[in-house]
Amino acid sequence: MLPIVGYTNKLTAEPGETVDVMVSSFGAKTYSADLRQIIQGDTNPEGPGYKDHLITLDLGGTRTAISKPFKPGSCVIVPGLGALPAIQDFTLAAVVRPTLLDGRRRSIVALPGLAEIAIDGDGHLTGQAGDTALVSSVKLSTKHWHVVSLSYDARRELLSLAIARDRDEASTPPRAHIVSTKAVLAARVPSECIIAATRGADGELTAFLDGKVDRPALFDTCLEPDTIRTLLTDFALLRRQRSLLAAWDFSRRMTSRTICDISPFQMHGHIHNAPARAMTGWLWKGQELDWKLRPDLYSAIHFHATDMYDAGWDVDFTLTIPSDLKSGVYAVRLVPDGDEDSAYFCVFAVRPPRDRPSGNTVAFLFPTCSYMAYANHRLGMDVPGTEIGMGRAVELDRHHMFLQNNPGIGFSVYETHDDESGVFHTSRLRPIVDMQPKVKSFLGGFGSNIWQFNADTHILGWLDAIGQNHDVITDEDMHADGLTLLQRYNVVITGTHPEYYTRNMIEALQGFTDRGGRLMYLGGNGFYWVVSFNEDMPGIMECRRSEAGIRPWEPGHGQFYHGFTGEYGGLWRRNDHPPNHLCGVGMTSQGFDVSEPYVLSDNATDPRAAFIFDGISGPGIGNFGLAGGGAAGLEVDRADPAQGTPDHALVLAFSVRHTDIYLMTPEDLLDPTPDWSGTQADIIRADLTFFETEGGGAVFSTGSIAWAGAMAWNNYDNEVARMTHNVLRRFNEETPFDFPGGQGW
Amino acid sequence: MARYQITEEDFAFAREFMETPIGYHSPGLQRVLNRMRGADWTRKYVLVIEERYRLWRLAQLPVGRGAQVEIIEGVVYTDLVEAERDIFRRRWKDLTGQDLDTALPQTT
Ligand SMILES: [Fe+2]
Repeated sequence: MLPIVGYTNKLTAEPGETVDVMVSSFGAKTYSADLRQIIQGDTNPEGPGYKDHLITLDLGGTRTAISKPFKPGSCVIVPGLGALPAIQDFTLAAVVRPTLLDGRRRSIVALPGLAEIAIDGDGHLTGQAGDTALVSSVKLSTKHWHVVSLSYDARRELLSLAIARDRDEASTPPRAHIVSTKAVLAARVPSECIIAATRGADGELTAFLDGKVDRPALFDTCLEPDTIRTLLTDFALLRRQRSLLAAWDFSRRMTSRTICDISPFQMHGHIHNAPARAMTGWLWKGQELDWKLRPDLYSAIHFHATDMYDAGWDVDFTLTIPSDLKSGVYAVRLVPDGDEDSAYFCVFAVRPPRDRPSGNTVAFLFPTCSYMAYANHRLGMDVPGTEIGMGRAVELDRHHMFLQNNPGIGFSVYETHDDESGVFHTSRLRPIVDMQPKVKSFLGGFGSNIWQFNADTHILGWLDAIGQNHDVITDEDMHADGLTLLQRYNVVITGTHPEYYTRNMIEALQGFTDRGGRLMYLGGNGFYWVVSFNEDMPGIMECRRSEAGIRPWEPGHGQFYHGFTGEYGGLWRRNDHPPNHLCGVGMTSQGFDVSEPYVLSDNATDPRAAFIFDGISGPGIGNFGLAGGGAAGLEVDRADPAQGTPDHALVLAFSVRHTDIYLMTPEDLLDPTPDWSGTQADIIRADLTFFETEGGGAVFSTGSIAWAGAMAWNNYDNEVARMTHNVLRRFNEETPFDFPGGQGW
Repeated sequence: MARYQITEEDFAFAREFMETPIGYHSPGLQRVLNRMRGADWTRKYVLVIEERYRLWRLAQLPVGRGAQVEIIEGVVYTDLVEAERDIFRRRWKDLTGQDLDTALPQTT
């Protein structure tokens, strides 16, 4: 399958910067590494052919391949409890709502080696202190919150486990069920507190919870369940209790890793593997939908046994990017046991130096946010409907088989966790096995069937074929540096599917075209979802799919605002940055079977667009390609003044039919009727669109993911590639574009 | 469970599929394919790539994340369109009990 797998600690690095490489063996005994510039990754014999360049750089010869595991599962860890006085009498309490009970043992809150409240394989609440164990007759429910507690009274030598289920629908007060046993426990000092997991005998974290936990607390006295409930509902009252040793209020510092103890001991902790914060808590009853306005109601964390942030593998080696290495897309290639066919590619971008422009006036915008969104996606395995969307059977490549055997690698934001709640977070601090050259995909259409990174190499290969000097800059670079980076360029070229954008990114790119920059959007379904980075956790990204959009899950009621930033999740078009403003078109439909040509419109003869059609006649263009056999397809965008397409934008050509696999996006399908399909509805089309900006800039949008697959047809010698080159040539000239004002449509 | 059941009335669509397995389909054929390709399988046919763009093995993917992909020994394809036809025949058999090639009336 994949005998060797690895990742780098960054997806963008400048010359002179170091890059750490983490490698694990999944069967390989040894490996050797080299550095390659990736030019064209599609190995389809119908395509232009695979191409990379070996970079002369000694990466250290043959190494032993060491097996390193994936360790998924999130929790809260509060170290340093050893500073507390020895505990004799105690109460450990929390409010919990499990979201998956599937026979596995789950820990709710633990003082490892001292006390624990957990759920056993049958769903019963259990308590343990020292060698004494209690099992409640009450099972937990995935539909309700429960106040649970374990308390010890040394004078009475009595250990008690209590559970009270909140049953809103029954309109009856919750009643605690208590089970007790005689126990003699020595006074002891806890070392740490773990919430939603515990430690096994080997010291490793285990028994991860799928579910929400709210306001865990520890007291140095034995409290009655009713008293516990009263105290937990009121943090102001709780924090003044002399018996309080710790109480963690998850609604504090929700955008960070930090977990705050509101007791005077200030036993602060941190989250592990990035569980979802800013989630509706025990006391949320729909009072507010934005956690920023009532953070106190968002005091729950939703933990998952499948959460994954940082794989945390030991560094195998570190390379320094040569100071004279030109900007581009590179990969550390790991060759296991001399078997080149099984090589693994750790792909990253070498950006231009931060402190000085390279002199290149063209930049390829390497869409790392969209690669991260799809990182290790499992659509063809986890979602049965994928075959319907593809219009043919799912193909499983080697990396898919690896994903199937290693779900611990963590998910993309297309998956659900085992409890069927959506995956909000995706990280690049782990191998991203689909971000490699050569790999096939699910959604790339009949033909090459490649997606995201590998599909984007059709554009990299074209830049190489036409000899166009260019820089490669990443989404993360644009997020961090904004227009100070973009202003170096005349032209920014996107990938085939730049779907996921942070606010910094979309504002930087809008500012670029507003001020005279030229944008070539060579893709489809671009600038669609809002995503956020976390200032306290580098390498992770959040996406909450609120309200609309074609999406695999919803974030849950009251949970539409991102935990990382407080931004409203969902579509940019619902956040006053519709893609139509930026690029003239916006997502309209998708289908992953076959693609279509464009047919020229009357606008194609407009003198403003004459440079685009140099050497190109019509009436159709792009009746060929590696992505579904046409230039318009997979995911397609339409121009729409109602969504913000500039009035003077010229739709130069458009597709005139698609198969009935192409249906309407939910945001536009307010009233579903059976006429919204590719053979029936005009609105389902790709609009090839051009417009100038007032600042002398210009935008060329293909509104189609399949475009680059047509560029690569016939070894980049065709009318689609020619048109793209015509646009690039003019866009790269300094001469400002004239703004036609209110003309056009 | 899917409501639509495949019967002899779908012969015309089977014939249409065998003509053109990938691309434009009549609404009737699309409905047959939706039934065949939807979620109502405990094991779903998939193609495991042996050599990219050259050789595929037929396999079944059981429901459930992480389940072992089960290779069907001896069934290999060198052409994706042929693979589609073969999978269609197998599913026709699974859903109707009929061998499609024998059952399909030879007249049109
Ligand atoms: Fe997408």
